[in-house]
Amino acid sequence: MSDDGVEHEIHASRAERWPDWLPLATLVVGLALTAALALASAAQYRSNEQRLLRLRVHDAATLFTAALPEIQTSLGSAAELASATNGDVRRFRRYVAPLVGTKPGQSFVTMSLWQRSRISRGPVTVVGAAPELSTKAAAAFFAGATRGGTLNVTGLLHAPAPRIGYAYAAPAPAGGYIVYAASAIPPNHKSPVQSNSAFAGLDFALYLGRSQRPRDLLLTSVNSLPLKGRHAAAVVPFGDTSLTLVLSARHPLAGTLPQRLPWIIAIVGTFVTLAFSLIAARLATRRRDAERLAGENRRLYAEQRGIAQTLQHALLPQELPAIDGLELSARYAPGVDGVDVGGDWYDVIPLGRERVLVVVGDVSGRGLPAATTMAALRYAIRGYAAQDDPPATILTKLSDLVSVSRDGQLATVLCAVMNVDRREITVTSAGHLPPLLISGGDAEYIKSDVGLPVGVETDHAYSSATVTVAPGATFLAFTDGLVERRDESITDGLARLRGAALEQDGDLPELLERLVRGSHRDAAEDDIAILGLRWPSSTRS
Amino acid sequence: MAEFNAELTTNENGTAVVAVRGELDIQTVPQLEAVVAPALEANPTRLVLDVSELRFADSSGIALWVRWAAQVDELELLRPSPLLRRVLTAMGLEQKLRMTP
Repeated sequence: MSDDGVEHEIHASRAERWPDWLPLATLVVGLALTAALALASAAQYRSNEQRLLRLRVHDAATLFTAALPEIQTSLGSAAELASATNGDVRRFRRYVAPLVGTKPGQSFVTMSLWQRSRISRGPVTVVGAAPELSTKAAAAFFAGATRGGTLNVTGLLHAPAPRIGYAYAAPAPAGGYIVYAASAIPPNHKSPVQSNSAFAGLDFALYLGRSQRPRDLLLTSVNSLPLKGRHAAAVVPFGDTSLTLVLSARHPLAGTLPQRLPWIIAIVGTFVTLAFSLIAARLATRRRDAERLAGENRRLYAEQRGIAQTLQHALLPQELPAIDGLELSARYAPGVDGVDVGGDWYDVIPLGRERVLVVVGDVSGRGLPAATTMAALRYAIRGYAAQDDPPATILTKLSDLVSVSRDGQLATVLCAVMNVDRREITVTSAGHLPPLLISGGDAEYIKSDVGLPVGVETDHAYSSATVTVAPGATFLAFTDGLVERRDESITDGLARLRGAALEQDGDLPELLERLVRGSHRDAAEDDIAILGLRWPSSTRS
Repeated sequence: MAEFNAELTTNENGTAVVAVRGELDIQTVPQLEAVVAPALEANPTRLVLDVSELRFADSSGIALWVRWAAQVDELELLRPSPLLRRVLTAMGLEQKLRMTP
């Protein structure tokens, strides 16, 4: 009897395992992705805002240059008039009077006529406020106006009130007269922003020239400079100089959603990442628990199976007796689940010098009740055999030990008495499957009357049948696990076994091993006990 | 777990008839016992098992029938499959359990 019966394998696939680092990896990757997305979104938002701001600053700056032709026309006409009338003060004053004042449409706070050759003597005439130009300043202001026909933006005056001055000299040869005009700049250079203007929602600072020095500041919408936050600047030509407009947005130009999007992404991404990490952590924990339980089950199963097999080994013969002139072998294979002891057994009992009683039996049911009944039957048979009881008597007496009415158990038992020298087999069956006899290339089941299983009736009489076999014959007794399949008639199972036995021609242990393995091909669920005897081919020496 | 089902009815003669279907083995034997228990309480003289749809019966199931056969005067197996008939014959039980037809 060997231990290499059918092993019940439990596969633990490593591929299905959840790695322990998965939750942490989910967290790290998720947060990294969230951060990357949020940063990308923020960068996109910034570049978009900057682009929009640049568009706005160009649009707004153009508005300022649009004022230039009007100023140029006003000053140019006045200068042409002065030249044409040779400095007619009255006509000059009458022409410019509507342009000077503080009413809407009046652009200038002061206009004055100067004679180029007599700048040092001051203006020829002044309309409106005093020009507030010292002789020195006037000379400096008008130095650039030597070339006639262009508007010269002469610069900023800071006292007594901020002004911006313009000068226009009539083109030569009529030249000689210069018209100076100045527009007021609000105190502190502060200009409120109209909500419907091009500057709605924006802060701006407008400088004369290309620099953004505070002393060049014309107008601004804020109380203190420089402008805070994101800003864009545009430089546009303004007469013979330039204007520099700096804008900053008070609110996001593309609306608040793009501004908030990075934060939304960051918050939502963090929550989603945390959620996934928690789920992954829970799954990993569950997985671990399941694996632990599975391991525990495997251990318990193996233990149970070990106990069952140990008990089975203990209940079956430790070794078969050596019989002179007869080869003996036996196999026991637990069923697929193998966690219960079974009720199958075999035994070999020498009877005197030349006879051997061979027993194979099967107690119905499984577990300890079946195993204890089996043990009782096995040892009872040994006892009765020692009293020289024939098999038919033994089987009848066994009914004292098993009762289907009392225990719900019955047992099928096959007793075969071998006369070794005469090669005679006497078979007595209590509801058991017939033994197989393989001899001379043929195999047949030994026919005998089949009596009731043990435990059915107390006083059943059994009958025996005797056959004589040829040298080299092999006798196989077995339990139903070897031939029984649920989807097949027992007749077919017996025929299959017969066919399988004929195909084998190895030694006896090998034959039993192959028959057991062959029957297990479709996962036999029942235990198998099989006992084989073989006479030597040649006559005993 | 093998597929199994048992149903207890009483025919016009007042005899308990148990329809047994599927596979009867050591795991399903308690189910059959539970279904038949009420009928056995009345100490009937006859018990009919309709086994026409029983695909398989192992020794535990057969042991149960044999036990019942001792309890009642007559246990009848109605329409056993050739497979079941051969098993019972192989066990020498055809004389204890009446099989019809």
